[in-house]
Amino acid sequence: MTNAANTQPRPRFVPGQPDMWAFVLFEALVFTAYFVVYVVRRTQSPELFLESQAHLDLRVGVFHTLVLLASSWSVARCVQAARERSFRTALTNAFLTLLLGFVFLVSKVLEWAAKIEEGFGFTSDEFFSFYYFLTAIHFLHLLIGFGVLAICVHQLWSPARRSQETIETCATYWHTIDFLWVLIFALLYVMR
Amino acid sequence: MSALLRRIAWHWRYDEKRELWIGWWTLVVFYNLYGLLFFVVARTQPPPKPSLEPSEIVQWFDDRHYGLLFGYAIVFIVGGATAIMNATLAYTMRRMSVSRAFAYSYLVIYALATLPGMLIMGVACTVGAMRPDRDPELMSWLYDFAFLSFEGTMGVFLIGSLVWMVAVLLDRNRVFPKWFGYLNLCNALTEVVVAPAWIFKRGAFAWDGAIAWWINMAVFVTYTAVFLTLLRRMILREDFGSGPLPDLPR
Repeated sequence: MTNAANTQPRPRFVPGQPDMWAFVLFEALVFTAYFVVYVVRRTQSPELFLESQAHLDLRVGVFHTLVLLASSWSVARCVQAARERSFRTALTNAFLTLLLGFVFLVSKVLEWAAKIEEGFGFTSDEFFSFYYFLTAIHFLHLLIGFGVLAICVHQLWSPARRSQETIETCATYWHTIDFLWVLIFALLYVMR
Repeated sequence: MSALLRRIAWHWRYDEKRELWIGWWTLVVFYNLYGLLFFVVARTQPPPKPSLEPSEIVQWFDDRHYGLLFGYAIVFIVGGATAIMNATLAYTMRRMSVSRAFAYSYLVIYALATLPGMLIMGVACTVGAMRPDRDPELMSWLYDFAFLSFEGTMGVFLIGSLVWMVAVLLDRNRVFPKWFGYLNLCNALTEVVVAPAWIFKRGAFAWDGAIAWWINMAVFVTYTAVFLTLLRRMILREDFGSGPLPDLPR
């Protein structure tokens, strides 16, 4: 306990910058508002939503979820390794997170392309409008996430940097992407 | 009342932060006036339905005839105040440890935002209101032009928020807390969701929709209230030096 107190000059209530948690809270509120609008519109035309939802492949949704959950696991391992000063392992896990993020990105683009080819575009019906909107706004967060992971790699790369707080802040952002996706997956693919 | 006037007179004569306070009060008065004129006098916000038929659009202009003319006449008079507002916000970036390029880009981009978001919309609405006996098709054109012009500012606000975000996150002078940098990102991301307003005439993504307008506006109002509060604190902390800003005296 004494050692821990010596290594941490100020009390920490959350991992990384507390400021990033304000972002998580605010984004969670904004997405909750989007989800409420989706659910309200869904209750107004349940048959249309159910019929259109049947055109989504649940297996693809499960695959996306597993990929992002694995990326959350690897970014958590990155943080843990950095705490233990095993920077090579931390860097490997940061790259693994990037790779998994890229797998999600490619897979999502392929899913969109397949749906458009099947004739389901942004304006096809209300369900697909929400499908493209929610997945696209999440995709935008993912693209920002690549920049955030690049900062994490940049920190881990040189012994002159390696700010544990910055690494944890980056990981918090990445977990948010995962957290939001799980909710989007449940609403678009699973909820009947 | 006289105590208040004496206080104002004292600040006018002796307060070394006089110009900053003028800028801050301009922001507060302008945003309140903007809300009053757009929501109450001209009644162009919350926006009407994009799906109105030409005859309904003529009726819409007719219902707001004096509100549009009177409301936007005041908007045109006070519109220039945005220069003082933008300069005050750019000042915060000049006080940061970051490159001056941030403040300059912010100034330019928000000067551009005034044009489509306020002036063009006002011109289109007053042109429609001035001669309500025009061809309904022409009135429809003015109606779409006005509201799509207003929506068109979102991209400017998006980039402006990102400029401010990067400046706050890179700054070492503690001008604003880092969470405000992230709040800028939240605001920027809600500007993106306005884009479908160009495609939809009905539903959550239309220009009057729950997502494209109501949620976006809720975030923008929160964001504005936050930055006005933080700006006031920043002025109170300002020491006119070049290093980190001191904490607010307890």
